[in-house]
Amino acid sequence: MSEVRELPLVEAIREAYRQEMERDERVFMVGQDIAGGIFPHTKGLVEQFGTDRIVDTPLAEIGMYGTAFGAAMEGFRPIVDFMFAGFFLNAASPILAQTAQFRFIHGSQMSLPMVITGACGAGMRLGNEHAMLVHNMIAQVPGIKVCMPSTPYDAKGLMTAAIRDDNPVAFIWHLGTMMDRGPVPEEPYVVPLGVAEVKREGGDVTLVANGFQYKNAQIVADKLAGEISVEIIDPRTFSPLDIDTILKSLEKTGRLVVVDESWESRSTASEIAAQVVDRGFDLLDAPIRRVTIPNIPLPGGHMEPYVAPNPDAIEAAVRDVCR
Amino acid sequence: MALGKEQMKLLYRNLVRADHFDKMMMNRIMQGKLIGFYHPGDGAMAAGVGASTFLGDNDILNPHHRAHGLGYAAGRGVDVGRYLAEHTGKVDGCCGGRSSFHWSFPEKKMYGASGFIGWHFCPVVGWGWACKRKGNQMVLMASGDGSYGQGGAHEAMLFAMNWKLPIVFFCENNGMAIHSTISDMHPMPDISSLAQGYGMPAVVIDGQDVFAVAETVIAAREHALAGKGPTFVEAKTLRLREHDVGTPDLARAEPREAAYLEELKKRDPVVLATTRVLAEKVLTRKQIDKIYQEAKEEVAAIEKFADESPVAQPSIEELLAGVYVA
Repeated sequence: MSEVRELPLVEAIREAYRQEMERDERVFMVGQDIAGGIFPHTKGLVEQFGTDRIVDTPLAEIGMYGTAFGAAMEGFRPIVDFMFAGFFLNAASPILAQTAQFRFIHGSQMSLPMVITGACGAGMRLGNEHAMLVHNMIAQVPGIKVCMPSTPYDAKGLMTAAIRDDNPVAFIWHLGTMMDRGPVPEEPYVVPLGVAEVKREGGDVTLVANGFQYKNAQIVADKLAGEISVEIIDPRTFSPLDIDTILKSLEKTGRLVVVDESWESRSTASEIAAQVVDRGFDLLDAPIRRVTIPNIPLPGGHMEPYVAPNPDAIEAAVRDVCR
Repeated sequence: MALGKEQMKLLYRNLVRADHFDKMMMNRIMQGKLIGFYHPGDGAMAAGVGASTFLGDNDILNPHHRAHGLGYAAGRGVDVGRYLAEHTGKVDGCCGGRSSFHWSFPEKKMYGASGFIGWHFCPVVGWGWACKRKGNQMVLMASGDGSYGQGGAHEAMLFAMNWKLPIVFFCENNGMAIHSTISDMHPMPDISSLAQGYGMPAVVIDGQDVFAVAETVIAAREHALAGKGPTFVEAKTLRLREHDVGTPDLARAEPREAAYLEELKKRDPVVLATTRVLAEKVLTRKQIDKIYQEAKEEVAAIEKFADESPVAQPSIEELLAGVYVA
């Protein structure tokens, strides 16, 4: 049996774009400088699909987003690329007030099959606007799905699922995972939205982490191996959230640490903690710990390594709940 | 291009119908028989009727918020019974009673209104992009003068000209945005002057003349379908009443003067159109009376339909099932 080929995460995303655009001519991409490619995830696509389907726009997020939003109503399946996910805030009104709520408000008559994507993440010293993770801002609003891959395999599968989904899906990817290599099957496949995965089995503590923080979680689990057995769950999708997989793990471990590269308050970590208390209070042998960004704007400069979640902070939280 | 007699008759009929619909809504909000609010179109129903009556079935139509788009609904052949049922939260409403005044008729390519004035400058780009890709369809995008304060308006005009999108930017300029006058809010009296910066052809017309509006939009539509790109049509109109029924009718902080409003009433589009169809022998007085009678009967049927429809109060489970496509 031949080895599964390895790809960097960013190329796994590109393969999903390419295969889905070959499969369905309604799929197209719109963004700023995607033909040239600020990130390599769109490299070479314009040569294959032309400027009708790899659409560069002026620096104007309302118009850029509107290209996708309006075309989706007319039966196209757009992917709109904000380059940096934080730039979605320039089109937050049409995304959060209209797109997400559109189907419901208009009597569930219309569907808006579109993917909203962008890169983000602490660790590159890009400043708060480029770095901040926006998954929780988007996930608060019903009607839009939100996901973020941790591995190249998930990146291709989640993007394929997002493109094929008939709902708007925000696909956020972390710059700290961009060049991570991992096995990626060549044929198209789907990682279903709304399904978490146990990525490492363990018996002492459930550690929920995603994106770049999934890597930090693995570092901690490796370090503690032999001392504390860590089970790592990757939620993969923030909305809808697969809480059942986490509760099932807690039946075994009784201890929960949630890592979320987001502000401490009103984050996915907060949401998971609340749902676990609601539905799994009796499973808990220790208080839930959240490892997040304190409630301060993410500074540029040299402060990211200790302000953002990191292996030391995760290890301290794991040890704390396992005392 | 001059309109034929049959076209003029249709426009006149739709104008009378739209005027009756608008008055129906004003009556109902004052009787407490309408949800939310109503922004009356009284005296300004010609622009919507003229802009929408001769669109193609595949053309996308974004109605102006004033009169909650009723002039456009009349021209488009929307089921106003379902429209009113929506505005009264009934199960037969066009959106199941969930949207109230954010109504939509996707099957008529009227994709929905929003309380965020100027919201449509975002999707209009994609509507135009899709129409261009598919061919032989265009977008009539109506809005008021106030909405052109939104930054998105400029992004939409920029994209539309860059890509030569088949969009008619149709601006109903009534000189008022709630209590603000256009002279306070825009540096130039004509909103269409903005189009010049993008190299977009623009024209200013009398929005009280339903026939002039229709002639202009027919030409602008042909321009769009010929692949020549967007145009800007500014229809000068007026506002006879307050911004929304029940609020004070102010200009800045002062009540608008009665004598001024009386002067405006002379420009009522129904009066102007009636004078013209009689003068040009398009319709007889007897035919006009019949059109009025039919409009009254239509309104009675619309109200009966909406009033007899049950209030929509689905369970939370049913509502949750409507958020996502399964």
